[in-house]
Amino acid sequence: MEQADNNEREAVNEAASDPRESLRRGLTEEIKRLRRFSNRGLWALSLFLMVSTIAWRDFWFLPSAATIVASLGAPPTPQIISLVLILYTFSAIILSLSRMMAGLRHSSSFCHVGYLLVFYLFYYFAEALPDNYWAVFGAGFTILCMESYRIWTFCNDNILKKHEQLAFLERTGRLPVEEPDVSD
Amino acid sequence: MFDKIAGRALVPVGIVVTGFLVVCFVLLHSAIKNVVIRDSVGHANNLAGIVLKSTRYAMLKSDRELNSTIIRNISEQDGVQHVRIFNKKGIVAFSSKPEEVNRQVDKKAEGCVVCHEKAAPMTSLGNMQKARTFKNGAGTEVIAITAPIYNEPECANAACHVHPASQKILGTLDIGLSREATLHALASIRAQMIIFSVLTLVLTIAGVIALLKMIVLVPMQKLQEYTERSERNSTLSQPTDLPYELDKIAKSYYFIRKKLTDVERQSVKTADSAAACEKK
Repeated sequence: MEQADNNEREAVNEAASDPRESLRRGLTEEIKRLRRFSNRGLWALSLFLMVSTIAWRDFWFLPSAATIVASLGAPPTPQIISLVLILYTFSAIILSLSRMMAGLRHSSSFCHVGYLLVFYLFYYFAEALPDNYWAVFGAGFTILCMESYRIWTFCNDNILKKHEQLAFLERTGRLPVEEPDVSD
Repeated sequence: MFDKIAGRALVPVGIVVTGFLVVCFVLLHSAIKNVVIRDSVGHANNLAGIVLKSTRYAMLKSDRELNSTIIRNISEQDGVQHVRIFNKKGIVAFSSKPEEVNRQVDKKAEGCVVCHEKAAPMTSLGNMQKARTFKNGAGTEVIAITAPIYNEPECANAACHVHPASQKILGTLDIGLSREATLHALASIRAQMIIFSVLTLVLTIAGVIALLKMIVLVPMQKLQEYTERSERNSTLSQPTDLPYELDKIAKSYYFIRKKLTDVERQSVKTADSAAACEKK
């Protein structure tokens, strides 16, 4: 254990003394981080599929809708919930497309799973889940597929860029000069 | 697929259009289904009202034969599955099926439990609460309406049979109508919506592919062919037929390439003249 700590400390000291090594290490770390980040959308999609399975089984562990309505009051009508679901789907897709266009690093996938769970719950309380289950499922699948695609393309493009920087570093011993963004 | 412009552009468009269409399709179908069901419940309620009004006089006169005839005639109408009138004790007083008359009905049975689930039964129900759906013995989907027969001053004061004025409900009418027509209409609406959604999806994707090909992919291919041709040939011609910004890119490439060729020629000429000088 102590030996490993010493080795790591030596490696850090060596890296600090050799700027090329430190840059190389930084770039490799960034590539690893991007690879991990690229799976985020798929994790969110898997979580959503799990939530959907629970909703498909009609939230068996929750008290009946009538009991909840008796204690919390009447839920919104299914028409209102559907209207909000359409608005939410539309704006989430537009947001995702805008982020894709701007090339922003944004990791919002998991909060969409939360919003979709709320829709499932509202339909359950309004006793309209069987009729509207596929609407929420379709909305969630579309939004999370878009988010996964956006995150995946963002990470892939950046990994490619980092690999090019790494190759440039190996050739010249320094990082390439960043070109100004044309879209700015 | 994802390393080409076409793949990268079409995948998000496909996901977005398909997903949004599916969501709208399901929600619209659900809304239409609700409207159709509400409409059919309203229709069944009206029919129950007509039956009650038709039998009212016979009930006031306590004319069992007239009541039975009215109920039998109504049940012969297309789409009417059953008509029953229960008395206060839950015994079938009149029915379109003679074998059911004088039978006791369980208050916990479907259709009765809505009012009888608590100790004191409910005396008024909304239109949707009066309706229940089930599959009957013949395998037909049925929508049944349970309409209460209220006590009225004429009933309480009638000479023939006395109901105390305090008794609110005298009995119930249970009428069952076939849902086949409603379900058929819903299936037809669903099929038409699926066809409409698929056509919209195909048209959108085809439109995007056509525009992408016309505006981006074909000009890009031309630009690629131009640069490849100029790499092979030493003589370079001005780019033609390239639309939008691609024309500027091709022209910039042409001028850079021309300058490079000039520089190369210049250096060859200098090297030749240097060699000639050395010979001299």
